[in-house]
Amino acid sequence: MKKHIYKAFAKKLFGARYERLGKTVFTEIILFYSLHITGLQVRIAPSVLYLMTTVFTAGIMWQALSSSDHAGQLKHMLMLPFVGKEFISGYVGMLGIYTLITKTTMLWSAVFAVSDRNLPELIVSVLCALNGVFLPSLIFVLLRNMDAYRFFLPLHRVFAKPFYMGQSSGRQSPWQTVHAARLTPQKSGCAYMWKYFFRYLTAHKNYLVNTAAMCGIACVLPLLFGNTEPGFILPIGLGILSMNTPLCTLLSCDPSLNQAVRFLPGQKRLFCVSYCVFIFGVNLTVDIIFLSSLAARLGSLGMDAFLMAVFFALQGAVGSVWLEWSYPIKNWKIESDLWHHPRKYIVPAALVLIAGLLGTVPWFLYILYGILGIEILAVRCSFEG
Amino acid sequence: MNRPPLLSIQNLRAWYRPGKHILTDFSIEINAHEAIGLIGLNGAGKTTFLNLLSGLHPHFHADRILVDGCESTFRNPDFKLRRYTVFAEDHSFQYFTFWEYLSYVFAAYGQKIPDVSCLVEGFHFGEYTDMLLKDLSMGNQKKAFLITAFTLKPELLLLDEPVNGLDFASTEYLYQLIAGYKEHGTVLFSSHILESVTLTSDRVLILENGKIRKNFEQEEIDTAKIREALHEETHL
Repeated sequence: MKKHIYKAFAKKLFGARYERLGKTVFTEIILFYSLHITGLQVRIAPSVLYLMTTVFTAGIMWQALSSSDHAGQLKHMLMLPFVGKEFISGYVGMLGIYTLITKTTMLWSAVFAVSDRNLPELIVSVLCALNGVFLPSLIFVLLRNMDAYRFFLPLHRVFAKPFYMGQSSGRQSPWQTVHAARLTPQKSGCAYMWKYFFRYLTAHKNYLVNTAAMCGIACVLPLLFGNTEPGFILPIGLGILSMNTPLCTLLSCDPSLNQAVRFLPGQKRLFCVSYCVFIFGVNLTVDIIFLSSLAARLGSLGMDAFLMAVFFALQGAVGSVWLEWSYPIKNWKIESDLWHHPRKYIVPAALVLIAGLLGTVPWFLYILYGILGIEILAVRCSFEG
Repeated sequence: MNRPPLLSIQNLRAWYRPGKHILTDFSIEINAHEAIGLIGLNGAGKTTFLNLLSGLHPHFHADRILVDGCESTFRNPDFKLRRYTVFAEDHSFQYFTFWEYLSYVFAAYGQKIPDVSCLVEGFHFGEYTDMLLKDLSMGNQKKAFLITAFTLKPELLLLDEPVNGLDFASTEYLYQLIAGYKEHGTVLFSSHILESVTLTSDRVLILENGKIRKNFEQEEIDTAKIREALHEETHL
């Protein structure tokens, strides 16, 4: 029985023939060697490595546990007469193995390629990774069951509860107003979509926490640059802040919405423009926090700084929406795969490169404005075509 | 002069994997103002065909696709404006309420929303209109999409297994709506329930292995005959 449970979860996460396992190990080897042959060496204190391993693994494990994308499969499996303990150990164990193999070892292959480590450090890192798997699993259960002392016996009930009950049944949504049916005044389609995005953002705590974290980073970023040349701080700071855009995998994450926006008419204009403006708004808010913090440190910044922030926010939004519309991520296994998919970093990586260029040649911004204008026109033409 | 068919498709082939065709040698003429029922075993190609018409299936080839006698494609913006689909399973726009979804769809089609109270009442949906779609049961979500479809009244309405998940009263009401849709346009729907196609359709098509095996015209539609044809298909 236990074997079947493990097999079912393993196939769900690693693919029917465990093909994802081979692909991941291959990618890790390539990453390791490509960094290793550059000869780049970075000094990373053991304590930093341990902290990084623990926090990274725990973060991914938490996202995997709290994700709702397994609910359907678990609902069916919980109906079958599996033994609770075996079922839970299979579920958590396989998620842990998936996290360690596909995420933590990816981090290690980058870190170990650029810094020499001895055997005791490697052993402690492995222990930290295991801790990063077990700790969030334990906290996840404890937060859902106040009878913590009875944790080990009724574990399957604790896990089963959210899946049996559904994600929100019995809970009234904050936007739900149950009164007589009435027709709301018809607004533009964009207004409805912005409302939709805002709800989506607030309903997904991971996105919300990420956005709040970006605002926090924007506040302290000018201090972290120390005595760096002020001309570099602005573009590089804006580039760094584009690293985490909320909702930039919206269509990949929701295949039904992806299908709906492709079958309804006029969605390239209605949906994509609203989506772009929403991401632009969030990006610009974070950038303005950064500008304010920078102005407090360096004095007033002038119009050029604001224009640069607008450029980064808009370019980030246009790039993210174009990629999401044209190349949505498919065949992902758990939601956290989307948040760490290489495609998500294409736009930020390009913006960081542009930031480096702008740090050297500030007037290049005006040329970039021209390029952005052409891009918007090209996207518009492709939408209309 | 006779009006050309609303949609004419010749030698359609569709596949998910090259070499393994889901639809093959599939030709059909869909006239304006008719109700067509599709019935067949699982895997016969009903959903694939409806997805194709919705512009969602990229792997296909057709010798000819004519809309009102003019060459067109399933993703043509004009054709998109003339059709709407209710899918068998749809979990889209989960953070909209019914009203917001309706308003958004009407904005997409560039139309003003007419009075929907009759449809809302007919589907017994009044108490759910202000709830987010994600908080509704599967049947109520389907009602939201069906009300939107029958409010929009597109020229070509595509319904993939519309009866699934609906309660008894709503199913009866839906039969009336489908049967009466001819007044507004054409409805093409798939179902596994024989009664749903015999009670409502002007034409019944039996699909088998991606082909139209039998075409029952209005005067030929008879539950016993269609049942017999379906049993033949099962035993083949």
